Amino acid sequence: MATPLTRRQFMQMAAITAGSAAVVGGLQGLLNLEADAVTEIELLPTAVSTTTLIPEKIVPGVCLLCPSGCGVLSRVVNGRLVKLEGNPMHPMNLGTLCPKGQAAPELLYNPDRLTGPMRRTGERGAGQWEAISWDEAVQLVTARLNDLRAAGHPEQAVLMHGEAPGQLKSFFQQFMRLVGSPNVISRESLNTAAAKLGSYLTQGVYNTPVYDLENSSYILSFGASMLEAGPVPQRMISGYAFMRRGRAERGKMVVVDPRQGVSGAKADEWIPIVPGADAALALGMANVIIRSGLIDPSFVGHYSFGYEDFPDETGTRLIQGFKNFVLENYNPEQVADITGISSTTISRLAGEFASNKPSVALLPGKGGLLNGTIGGVYTAMAIHCLNALVGSLDRPGGVLTQRYPEVPNWPQPADDPIAKQGCTMERVDGAGTQFPLAKHAYQAVAERILDGYKVDTLFLYDANPVYEAPGGNRFREAFEQVPLVVSFSSFMDDTAQYADLILPEPTFLERYEDHFIEGMGYPGVGLRQPTIGRQHDTLSIGDFFLQVAAAMGGEIAKAMPWHTYQGLLRYRLKDVGTDWDTMKELGLWLTPGYRFSRRGSDKWVQEVIGTDRRFAPRDGYFDFYSRELKCILDNQSAEQLADLGLAHINDTTYLPQYVPTTYAGSEVEYPLTVNVVTLMSLGPVSAAANMPTLQEISGMTVQETWGSWLEMNPETAAHHQLEDHQEVWVESPFGKVQTKLRLVAAVRPDVVNLPYNQGHTAVGRWAKNRGVNGVTLLDPQSEPISGLAAFTNTRVKVYPA
Amino acid sequence: MTSWAMVIDLDKCVACQGCSIACRFENNTPVVAPEQAQKGRAIRWNDVFPDPINPTEETGEYPFVRTRYLTRPCMHCVNPPCVKVCPVQATYRDEEGLVRQNYDRCIGCRFCTVACPYGVRYFNWYQPEWTPELAQHLSPDAVTGPGRSEGPAARMKGVVEKCTFCIHRLQKARAQAEAEGRDFRAADYVPACVQTCTAKARYFGDLDDPESTVSKLEQNPRAFRLLEDVGTHPKVIYLREG
Repeated sequence: MATPLTRRQFMQMAAITAGSAAVVGGLQGLLNLEADAVTEIELLPTAVSTTTLIPEKIVPGVCLLCPSGCGVLSRVVNGRLVKLEGNPMHPMNLGTLCPKGQAAPELLYNPDRLTGPMRRTGERGAGQWEAISWDEAVQLVTARLNDLRAAGHPEQAVLMHGEAPGQLKSFFQQFMRLVGSPNVISRESLNTAAAKLGSYLTQGVYNTPVYDLENSSYILSFGASMLEAGPVPQRMISGYAFMRRGRAERGKMVVVDPRQGVSGAKADEWIPIVPGADAALALGMANVIIRSGLIDPSFVGHYSFGYEDFPDETGTRLIQGFKNFVLENYNPEQVADITGISSTTISRLAGEFASNKPSVALLPGKGGLLNGTIGGVYTAMAIHCLNALVGSLDRPGGVLTQRYPEVPNWPQPADDPIAKQGCTMERVDGAGTQFPLAKHAYQAVAERILDGYKVDTLFLYDANPVYEAPGGNRFREAFEQVPLVVSFSSFMDDTAQYADLILPEPTFLERYEDHFIEGMGYPGVGLRQPTIGRQHDTLSIGDFFLQVAAAMGGEIAKAMPWHTYQGLLRYRLKDVGTDWDTMKELGLWLTPGYRFSRRGSDKWVQEVIGTDRRFAPRDGYFDFYSRELKCILDNQSAEQLADLGLAHINDTTYLPQYVPTTYAGSEVEYPLTVNVVTLMSLGPVSAAANMPTLQEISGMTVQETWGSWLEMNPETAAHHQLEDHQEVWVESPFGKVQTKLRLVAAVRPDVVNLPYNQGHTAVGRWAKNRGVNGVTLLDPQSEPISGLAAFTNTRVKVYPA
Repeated sequence: MTSWAMVIDLDKCVACQGCSIACRFENNTPVVAPEQAQKGRAIRWNDVFPDPINPTEETGEYPFVRTRYLTRPCMHCVNPPCVKVCPVQATYRDEEGLVRQNYDRCIGCRFCTVACPYGVRYFNWYQPEWTPELAQHLSPDAVTGPGRSEGPAARMKGVVEKCTFCIHRLQKARAQAEAEGRDFRAADYVPACVQTCTAKARYFGDLDDPESTVSKLEQNPRAFRLLEDVGTHPKVIYLREG
């Protein structure tokens, strides 16, 4: 047969020859290997209905292997969970599921899960434990909290937490408030707090903005690979795919990041910017947009504050506004040197951004915003100001504001002087005091305990600070000052191994919990429920604290009247719009359809602009000049400001600006900037490192598996005489690690990348002592004003091992 | 006659590997030891990888670097080389165009793994193993019959396995339609990778039905097949990026 057959011709022929050729087909195949020849191969019928359907149960839930909170449907056969699928009704993932969610059975059935509550018997960290009962655990913690209250120091009970979805965050605050402690410390200072502060100081909303990618024509994404990491990667993927091929016109995407990553690879254009220079680029673009007259005059003119110069309170002096500040300081030629991007490119990007509406500039969840200076917060403000300049706030294809379902108030306790007194004490992380701008300063807790803040009982929920915080080893030292460390981890993780008491949580597939749907704008809530019976003797933290509250008695018990967390949820979700059974059946409830508000309307003032401002007026004006920041800093004394490095405070302090990154380590000795990147495969959750399937696929982009690697540009490697696959030391002023070098062309020559979530000292058989933890290389200092951790201002040197 | 085919839009695909892992849990493919994985012996019927596979090659000079990713199931060729070389008919093509693998007949000669130009046939170098805890999640689905053991059914050291387009799901969908007393429709059946695709980049259906999504997408100017020139006539159609 000389010419290839079409499929159709082949099918016709095959149908004729099917029966007769069955027996000899295989042999003929062996003899006739001509590539395009169609041989008479056996065609067996596709078996029909030979399987009897196996009885199965489908249980809805919500994933928790990253913060997205995708809806899942668990397939349960014979009492065993065998598969997860995406819940098609859940707007976050629309029936799809990423590899972490797909691999979730390995979390549930992980052989290294802790099987029940236990108490330390040997030295801290010696690994000697005895099993205790949950009743004992409740009594122990109750006695502790009662003693603290009796001694008048309830603030010495501290709760550090990671992801606290749905009601849990509010429940933690309420429980600790009843005990009398202001110390509920969120991990957000390691990731999303910078973006939240950027939105807070400009728009007045302390939350990560929501982006309407489906309707955007132009997406400009700054830092932190939006399709892999960040607060809601699955939401970004859905939006991206729709923007590309779900509608008639394909949108454009530009990624600004020193590392290309998957997001840069999928973008139309990748801009490898100098690390930490994002603010300069954003303001350079603002300069071009303003000069070209491409701003949205209606928004900027009527619904913003501080764009034009304005008179001060006395009316005698003119304060420089955003426009003149940017025109004076950030023309593209000046910015080109800072960013490493040519002025023509900057001008072109500005033109494209302002004329391809609706366009939107995305804040990263982490990335360059955590660069150890207040410049990180300014960067977030500058990026968010781009959206304001082109009028993308609360517009289709622009920035949306997340709304939440209505929930009833917590029962109000009677007057409790001890609790009242405790709640007025300074927070252990220094948020609002040492760090005036911070809501949380997770990583600073260790340092402040070592500096003398007394902590008696430390609760750790989804918190593994020894591993995940820069300078994590300081937590081990700080624990020496803390009489009781309680971990709620399901695994013996890097931090739990130094705890005194471990009260393991059931996995997200075994417990009741809600999870707000964040990323669509409109209100919605997903519901977790037990998929199968509990695998081990575990208790969720909600159930545990409710039992403690009951045992403590008095006002606390009265204000926490529920016996189980499920009961609490039923109360808190009663106004969500449907009944409990429907929520259990669907796994979620939502009020779809984002309702845009007219600029200047009541809704605009109440819900879109300024809702979280504490000091500045909630007047519906977007702040190019941050009145909120001014109010916060005005509350500080001159000495305090000097301590914060703000001795020369002036009018421009409240405008977004570029602040050069101050690096730890000299450029001569440490020539490369290190970047710790979160992967789609392993994600942010420590337990995921102990899921063998995720280990196997961890390094897809460089074909590495079960370990760490260092990404370096081939030019840089040649300059340092290093080769691909070579074992190298990566050394910073704070530590050094040994790993394998991999050459990747799509990374800036002055930047190296290490993947996150390897190099655990514990967790389990597959995670322990595998690869290296890049976080140990990072500068442990907190940013003095915002309390943010520093992730991208550490330089390293790389040399052969 | 039905001819099952898949379309993968590389413009939408974000290389998340959800397909790879959905396949693993649907079809009970084992995790291999780390040393074996390093030798390229991992068993993922649908693998995702950079193209070219070595990220330093042929991707352009910095900063004009173009990185691409490919996701690769079995092509279910109309003219499958693997079937021709199998000396024991362990691998065969059925009447609906699925290229199938019978573990009970496979003698582990690996002719097919060499003959397949796409590298989508996987050999069990060792007995697949799970800890007793993890073994609980193994899917009970299987395609079995006299002398036949396919799909998610247990396999042993020394046999070859491959993507089946989740043939057991087709059987279940047919059985379900029968149980409900209605006709089976093509839309009743999608493989696990199609169902989970985070970017909804995958489409599945009957290529012999001119009205199906896959038939329409086959006509898309972006459509291409892998190694079209070797004459295998793949039934996995890609849509190129951009």
